[in-house]
Amino acid sequence: MTDTFYDVMRRQGITRRSFLKFCSLTAAAMGLSPIYASKIAHAMENKPRIPVLWLHGLECTCCSESFIRSGHPLAKDVILSMISLDYDSVIMASAGHEAEAIVDEVIAEHKGKYILACEGNPGLEQDVTGGMSCIVGGKPYTAQLRAAAKDAMAIISWGSCASWGCVQAAKPNPTGATPIHKVPDIGNAPIIKVPGCPPIAEVMTAVITYMLTFEQLPTLDRQGRPKMFYSQRIHDKCYRRPHFDAGQFVEQWDDEGARQGYCLYKMGCKGPTTYNACSTIRWNGGLSFPIQSGHPCIGCSEDGFWDKGGFYDRLSDINQFGIESNADEIGMGAAGLVGGAVAAHAAVSALKRTQQKGDEE
Amino acid sequence: MSIVNTPNGYKLDTSGQRVVVDPVTRIEGHMRAEVNIDENNIITNAVSSGTIWRGLEVILKGRDPRDAWAFVQRICGVCTGTHALTSVRAVEDALGINIPENANSIRNIMQLSLQVHDHLVHFYHLHALDWVNPVNALKADPKATSALQQQVSPNHPNSSPGYFRDVQNRLKKFVESGQLGPFRNGYWTNPAYLLPPEADLMAVTHYLEALDFQKEIMKTRTIFGGKDTHPNWTVGGVPCPINVDGTGGVGALNMVNLNQVHQILKDSQTFIKNVYIPDILAIGQFYKGWLYGGGLSSQNVLAYGDIPDRANDYSPANLMMPSGAIINGDLSKVHDVDLTDPEQVQEFVPHSWYKYPDGVKGLHPWDGVTDPQFDVSSAKGTSQNIEELDESASYSWIKAPRWRGHAMEVGPLARYIIGYAKGDKEITEQIELVLKTLDVPVTALYSTLGRTAARALEAQWAADKQLYFFDKLMTNIKNGDSSTHSGEMWDPADWPSEAKGVGFTEAPRGALGHWIKIKDTKIDNYQCVVPTTWNGSPRDEAGNIGAFEASMMNTKVAVAKEPVEILRNIHSFDPCLACSTHVMSEDGEELASVTTSPIGS
Amino acid sequence: MTTMATKPHNEPAVYVYEAPLRLWHWINAFSIIVLCVTGYFIGSPLPTMSGEASDHYLMGYIRFVHFTAGYIFAIGFLFRIYWAFAGNEHARQLFMPPIFNREWWGGVWHETKWYFFLTKEPRKYIGHNPLAVLAMYILFVWIVLFMIVTGFALYGEGTGYDSWQYTLFSSWVIPLFGQSQDVHTWHHAVMWVMICFVMIHVYVAIREDIMSRQSLVSTMISGWRTFKDNRSVDDGH
Repeated sequence: MTDTFYDVMRRQGITRRSFLKFCSLTAAAMGLSPIYASKIAHAMENKPRIPVLWLHGLECTCCSESFIRSGHPLAKDVILSMISLDYDSVIMASAGHEAEAIVDEVIAEHKGKYILACEGNPGLEQDVTGGMSCIVGGKPYTAQLRAAAKDAMAIISWGSCASWGCVQAAKPNPTGATPIHKVPDIGNAPIIKVPGCPPIAEVMTAVITYMLTFEQLPTLDRQGRPKMFYSQRIHDKCYRRPHFDAGQFVEQWDDEGARQGYCLYKMGCKGPTTYNACSTIRWNGGLSFPIQSGHPCIGCSEDGFWDKGGFYDRLSDINQFGIESNADEIGMGAAGLVGGAVAAHAAVSALKRTQQKGDEE
Repeated sequence: MSIVNTPNGYKLDTSGQRVVVDPVTRIEGHMRAEVNIDENNIITNAVSSGTIWRGLEVILKGRDPRDAWAFVQRICGVCTGTHALTSVRAVEDALGINIPENANSIRNIMQLSLQVHDHLVHFYHLHALDWVNPVNALKADPKATSALQQQVSPNHPNSSPGYFRDVQNRLKKFVESGQLGPFRNGYWTNPAYLLPPEADLMAVTHYLEALDFQKEIMKTRTIFGGKDTHPNWTVGGVPCPINVDGTGGVGALNMVNLNQVHQILKDSQTFIKNVYIPDILAIGQFYKGWLYGGGLSSQNVLAYGDIPDRANDYSPANLMMPSGAIINGDLSKVHDVDLTDPEQVQEFVPHSWYKYPDGVKGLHPWDGVTDPQFDVSSAKGTSQNIEELDESASYSWIKAPRWRGHAMEVGPLARYIIGYAKGDKEITEQIELVLKTLDVPVTALYSTLGRTAARALEAQWAADKQLYFFDKLMTNIKNGDSSTHSGEMWDPADWPSEAKGVGFTEAPRGALGHWIKIKDTKIDNYQCVVPTTWNGSPRDEAGNIGAFEASMMNTKVAVAKEPVEILRNIHSFDPCLACSTHVMSEDGEELASVTTSPIGS
Repeated sequence: MTTMATKPHNEPAVYVYEAPLRLWHWINAFSIIVLCVTGYFIGSPLPTMSGEASDHYLMGYIRFVHFTAGYIFAIGFLFRIYWAFAGNEHARQLFMPPIFNREWWGGVWHETKWYFFLTKEPRKYIGHNPLAVLAMYILFVWIVLFMIVTGFALYGEGTGYDSWQYTLFSSWVIPLFGQSQDVHTWHHAVMWVMICFVMIHVYVAIREDIMSRQSLVSTMISGWRTFKDNRSVDDGH
C-alpha cells in the first residue's frame, strides 16, 4: 500500500480545493502555465514515493540546511509524502551497519529507479590521505558514491560542492576534491547540477517536484543545470538594475547610495556574471537576497567562484604566469611599457636620422 | 595488558566485545565510534574518530582577510554564520577596527538566532529519535495525548485530540506504506526507549511542527544577511544599511523589515516557551533515571564567552554568555581564559593523522602546524576498509586541543555550569527551575540529559536576548544613530604590513576561536580551534581521553548490537565534524610552522 | 583593379588601398577607440550619479555605445574578410602571411634589424613589409577575432538564452573559459593587448612615413603609395 501526497493532505484535513490551490501555486513557483496545475494534482494523487539516497561527502551540510527551509513545499511534506528518503546520514534514525545496509538494499531493490542526491564531493587525493579524507563505514566515501551512482536513475548534484567542487576545491585543493561529474567511473546516470552555496531551498524542492510530476528530467543547459532556474543572471532580473543603468552606485559601505539601495556593482557584485534565481525567487520564502540586504553577490553558484580574486573587487584577478593582479593593472603596465618603448625608439630614430642627414651632407 | 588508567580518571578495559558504529548518523559531517562492552553490557572503553577533513585553513593562505569570513563560513552550514562572525572579529582585532553599536546589535541577533535555531533543530531532528520512538506513537490515544499536551503546555494552540489524530493517521499511513524513509532500520523495539505512546506521539508531532517552524527563525538572518544558509557578513560592521525615514528607505533596512524581524523574534520566543521547554521537561521526567553520559562535564569545562552587550568590548564583564574554565570539578574557582597565552590553548597530535616537526609537544594556534599523515597500518582491516581502529596509534582527523594540558568539554552544558558557578542570575534561576521540576539534585546536570536540558535552556535564554538586542537597536536608531559600518581601515592601503588577531564566539556547540596573521595585506596564517575539536578530541600524549569518549564510558547499553545509548551520548554534544577537522597542505613544507608572538600580553 | 597593383615597379605611385578598404580602416580605428573607452568605463564605472534613477541612463548609454561600436567593429571585420576576396592583392595580405616562404622570413629578419638600428636602410614595399604583416596577423587578426567572439558571448548573456548571440557564442564560450566572470576578465585583459597594438601601429606608421622609402599615413587616406627613390621594390612580382 503506497501513500500519495494527496492522501496525506486529505488526511491532514486539507480540502481538495486547497489541494488544487497548492498545485497551482507550485506550478506558478516553477514558472509553468496554469494548465500544469492539474497535471501536478494528478501526479501527487497517484504516484508511490520514489526512493532517494542522499549521500554526504566533503561538505558543510548547508544544502540540507537550505532544503529544510523550503516553504513551498515544506520539507516535511517532501520527506513524508513525495519521496522516500531512505538514506540521509544527517537525519536518519539508524546508524552504523544498519544504515549502510540501506544503501545496498535500495540499490538491489530499486535498480535504475532511485534518485541519488549528492551533497558534497569526494576527495581523490591519494599521496597523503590515501583517498581517506572522507570515510564512511571504514571505507572511502568514493566507494559508496560509485556504487550508488552506477544504478541510479538520475543523480542530483546539490550545491556548488557536488556541481563544481566549491570551497574545498579552491586553490590549492588539498584534498583533491572533485565534482561528481568528473569522478572517474561514476557511471552513466544523467547528472542534474543544482549549484549554489547553498542552492535556494525552493529551487531544490522544485527540482524534485518537477521530476516527480512530469516524470522527466528538467531541461538542462550546456553545463548541466536546469534551464528553468539557471538560464538568467542575477543581474538580468535584479530590482537594482535601474540604478546600474543610471550609473548610480554604492561607493562604500553604508554611504548615501547604500541607504537608498543603489547598485552594488562597484562593491564587487558578481550578479552580472552569476546564473541563479536569487533576484527573482529570492531566499527563505521570497524574503530577501544578498543584494537586497546590501551585500554584493559573491557568485556562489558559479564554477570556481572562490578563485576569482577578492569578493569586493569588480575586476577579477588573473593568476596566470605566477602573477596576481587584475586586467587593468596588467594592461596599464603593459601599455606604459609599450609607450616607454615607443618614446625611446622614437628618440633613437630621430637621433639616427639626424646623424644620417649629417653624413649625407 | 588490557586495562589502562587515564590521567583524567577513566579505567579503559579493552577485553570485552568491540562494537563499531560507522557512520554515526544525525550529526554534521562524518564520524566513527568504537566501544568495548563487558559481559554486563557496560561500556569499558570508548574511541571516537573524526572521519572527514577538507583543508580550509591552507586554502585561506594568501587571500584577502576581508574575504576570509566567506571561506570559513563554509566550514559548517549547520552552525552557519558563527565561523563568519568569529572571522570578522579576528580581522577586526588584528586591524584595530571598531564597529558601530547597531552592527553589534544586528550581529548579536544573528548569532542568537543561530543558537535558537540550532538548538531547536538539534533537539528535534538530530537528537529526539534517541529518546522518542515514532513507531510506538502509533499506539497512542489522541485524546490522552491532547490531555498531556494541555497539561505540559497549556498555551500551545495545537493541542486538540483531532490534531493529534490527524498526525497519528499520517504517521500510520506512512509506516504502513512500507517506505519508512528516514525511520528505516531504526531500533524501534529496543527497550532503551522509555516514553509512553502518548509522549511519543506528542514528541513526533512536535518533530513535524519544529520542522515547519525552524525555517521562520532564520528569516531574521535573511533580512539582515540576504540569505540563509550562509548569510553575508562584513569586516567593520554589517552589510545592511538602515534607512527608516529617508529617501529610498525601501532600498535599505526599513520599518517593514524591522517589523518582520520583531515578529519572528516574538514567535521564536513563544515556540521555545510553549513547545521546546515543555517537551524537554516531559521527556526528562521519563528519563531522569538514565543519568549516563556526564563524561568530562563534572570535571573540566571551558567557555570563551560571547554576545558583547556594548560593541567592541570583549572583556568577560561585557559578555552576556559566560566565559572561564573549571578544572577538576571545583566550581568555587572559575579560571580566566586568555586565548593569546601560548601556555593555555594547545593542540596535540600523537593520536591524530597529523605529524609535528618536533614530535609530541602541544602547539598554540599561533604556532599551528598541520601536516597530515594518514596511517591505519596497526588497525584491523586494510587502509581502504578499516574494521577496527587502533586507539594506541593515530585514529582520527581531529587534533587534541587541551587547556593547560586538560581535556575539556565545551558547549551549552559547559556554559551553564560556568554560569552557575559564577552565580549568573538568569542561568541559576533557569537551572534551579528545571532541577525542582524534575526533582533531581544538581549533580544530575552532569549527564547526557543535563547537556540536552542545558541546550534547551540556552535556546530560551537566546530567544529572550534577541529581543533585548532588538530593543537596543531600535533605541539607538531612535537616538539618531543609523550607522551600520565604520568604514575605517577598509582600504588595505591603510593596513600595517603585519598584524595578528584572535576572534572568538560561542558557537551552539561550544567555544570557537580563530587566529589570524596578516602580512602585506594577505592572510599569512589562519587557524581555527572549534567546539567539536575540543569535544571530539582523541587521546593526547598523556593518555587523557576526550569528551565524547568520556561520555560513552561506563554507560550501560540495553542491546549490545544496537547503539542507541552511544548515539544518545554523542548526539548530546551536537557534533559538527566538518568543523572539527583540520587542514593539510600538498607538501608539508609549505604549511610549515608559522611562529608569531601572541598579541596583547 | 588587381592588374593595377602588379604594374611596373618604379612608378612614382601605386594604387594600393582601395576606397572601401580605406573606409574600413578608419571606421575600424574609430570603433576601437570607442570600444576601449566605453569598455574601460564598464569595468570601472564613473562616479555615482545622484537623484532619481529614472533621470539618468549613463551606464545604459555607455553600454549602448559599446555594443553599437561592437557591432560596427564586427560587421567591419566581416566586410574586411569579404574584401580579402573581392579586393586587390594587398587586401589579402593581412590574412595570409606566406610563412612557408624563406625569402619572406628573410624580409622579416631584415625589417627587425631595421627597427633595432642594425641596418642602414629598410627595404621597399608596395604592400606591407613582412614584419608588419606578421605583427598584423598575430596582433590584429587573431585579437580582433578573440574580442569579437568573447564580446558576443558576453553580449549574448544579456540578449538571453534563446538569442542567436547566446546560441552562437555564449553557449560554448562561457563553459570553455569556466564561467562568465572569466570571459569578462579575458575580454578586458585583451583590450589592453589591442591598445598596445594600436600604440605600436600608430608609432610605426608615422615613423615609417618619415624614415622608410615609401609613404604610409597618406596612403591610407588617398590609397596611393608613393616612393622616395626610384630603385626597384622588394615585393614585386
